[in-house]
Amino acid sequence: MPAREETVRVGGIDVHTWIGGRGAPLLVLHGAGGNRGFTRWVERAAEHFTVWAPTHPGFGRSGDADWMEGIDDLARFYLWFMDAAGLARPHVLGHSIGGWTAAEMASMSPASIDRLVLVAPAGLKPETGEVLDVFYCSPRELRDAMVHDPKRIPEWDELFGRPPTPAEAEIATRNREMAARLTWKPYMHNPRLAHFLPRVANPALIVWGRGDRLVPVECGEQYRRLLPNATLSVLEDCGHLPPIEHPERFARLVVDFLGGAGRP
Amino acid sequence: MKLYYFSEMPHHEFPDAEGEKYPSLRLEFPNRFFDPAIASANYRRYLDEYEAADQAGFDGLMINEHHSTPSCVNVGVNMTAAILARITRRAKILLLGNILPIEDNPVRMAEQIAMADCISGGRVLSGFVRGVGVETWWANTNPVHNRERFEECHDLILKCWTAPGPFRWEGRHYHFRHVNPWCLPLQKPHPPIWTPGTASPETAIWAGERGYTYVPFLVPFDIARELFDYYREGAARAGRTVTPDNLGFLICAVAADTRARALEAGRHFVWRMGPTLRAPAEFMSPVGMRSRAASQFALRSRPRALSSMSYEELVEEHFIIAGTPDEVADRFAHVQRELGIGHLLLEAQESRMDHPTTMRSIELMGAKVIPAISSL
Repeated sequence: MPAREETVRVGGIDVHTWIGGRGAPLLVLHGAGGNRGFTRWVERAAEHFTVWAPTHPGFGRSGDADWMEGIDDLARFYLWFMDAAGLARPHVLGHSIGGWTAAEMASMSPASIDRLVLVAPAGLKPETGEVLDVFYCSPRELRDAMVHDPKRIPEWDELFGRPPTPAEAEIATRNREMAARLTWKPYMHNPRLAHFLPRVANPALIVWGRGDRLVPVECGEQYRRLLPNATLSVLEDCGHLPPIEHPERFARLVVDFLGGAGRP
Repeated sequence: MKLYYFSEMPHHEFPDAEGEKYPSLRLEFPNRFFDPAIASANYRRYLDEYEAADQAGFDGLMINEHHSTPSCVNVGVNMTAAILARITRRAKILLLGNILPIEDNPVRMAEQIAMADCISGGRVLSGFVRGVGVETWWANTNPVHNRERFEECHDLILKCWTAPGPFRWEGRHYHFRHVNPWCLPLQKPHPPIWTPGTASPETAIWAGERGYTYVPFLVPFDIARELFDYYREGAARAGRTVTPDNLGFLICAVAADTRARALEAGRHFVWRMGPTLRAPAEFMSPVGMRSRAASQFALRSRPRALSSMSYEELVEEHFIIAGTPDEVADRFAHVQRELGIGHLLLEAQESRMDHPTTMRSIELMGAKVIPAISSL
């Protein structure tokens, strides 16, 4: 069944949401680049789960949320979104700032979430390295730093291969502005998050690309140490976008971890 | 028309080839090229020149503030204002200006400006600016809040100056429970407020609504006129009449005894048109700092980047005026006729323009140019 688009109204904000698939609910939270919808890995996951992929407020075609100040606001918002959408204890998967959001949600209300998948999440301060300043980079530098090897990405042309239309460029600017609103200072991390993560006993899978030049893989080690029930899976030949760079491998990891085939 | 003397207090004391190795002289050019011994001498020299400009009869002395750049090592506009307040006697002191969005304590800012106003005997003209992106990076202030913080910081400063303390301020970006500044401006109700503009229609309208003096910086005449129209739109909205006293303009200018010498000195201004503005877009205008309207206006307002213009073109287009006192006075009069302004701000020293050249220019302006244009 093809994915459908819906608007979920939460706290006065219209949240544009892709929904599709069958099975237990899986909430997918996108990164700062915006909601890419049902890309290849999502199609695979949707064979086992009902995927809900909302567009964050202030991003894409969702409504504004100028009042938000940080990722913890977005996390509280998505716990509300789950109520509004009638999602009972979904699995939550988040990528980059979406992963950070998922980690915050789990620390606020672990019982509201089943299993947790964090893909190259921001949110923790690296112990030695630094998170790349994505707002200081030009869009081209950022695109080059994002992935390990564009030539080996099956969906590259589809996703990045042509110049954006004016409407797409406007959305890209909007996405960057909202990402800046949420992550500017402290840059890409919440100094308090590490103190709350030990509360999250949910089974958690952390996925990282070995060659991630945005958020260093050492942050994955930190997440694994702080979360009581987590495993870290590091993908070789992979940068900051495991779901796009290795869609089949990534989908298999996720479905296996969430117990796709064995669960109703 | 009133004339204002201005130096950015440059620190152009390094080999240019070194600067070219970096993506920009701002933010990225390492401060190991800052030479404190040279800076010490330069600061004294620049202040001497301001003092001379006061004595020569300039109506005002303009100062500004930047960070992380050799183009301007005046890193504290209120600090400089306090010095000028004490070493000069007559000229207005135009702070253009304090960078409001990056200020975390508007109460302290209100106190410092008030103190400079008191020390100077009420000579402060208090300019408020939004700053370029570089200052946002320097302060690590979220650029998406730039306009909101500019307006709220302004509102709180004005309240500090005009409302009896103590009072409480709980805004969106600023929170103070006990505001009771024990230093208030000498001028009542407060020092005149100025604001510059290069691209944001919103700023022009905002200034017009409040009757503040509005000064476009180094834009073509037709763009300045368009920004003044936005200013008038704001003024009309508030039922205000616009006079030349509300409008100013900034250019670069130097006078010398011969045209040849002046044109040689004027070349120093090219540095501020090109090398010091060279930077990735993200440095100057980080995401969210400008509205869509301002971004679109900015694209139109610079049909050609200043850096792409030759020296001769910059002179032809009045971005730089260099000549004998008579020639300079003629050109200033032309600018006045074109724009109907009451204030002409002169960036009058730049790059490696030396002390004798700068002093001679100040002297000639005082003796011959200011008398010629003061009645315009």
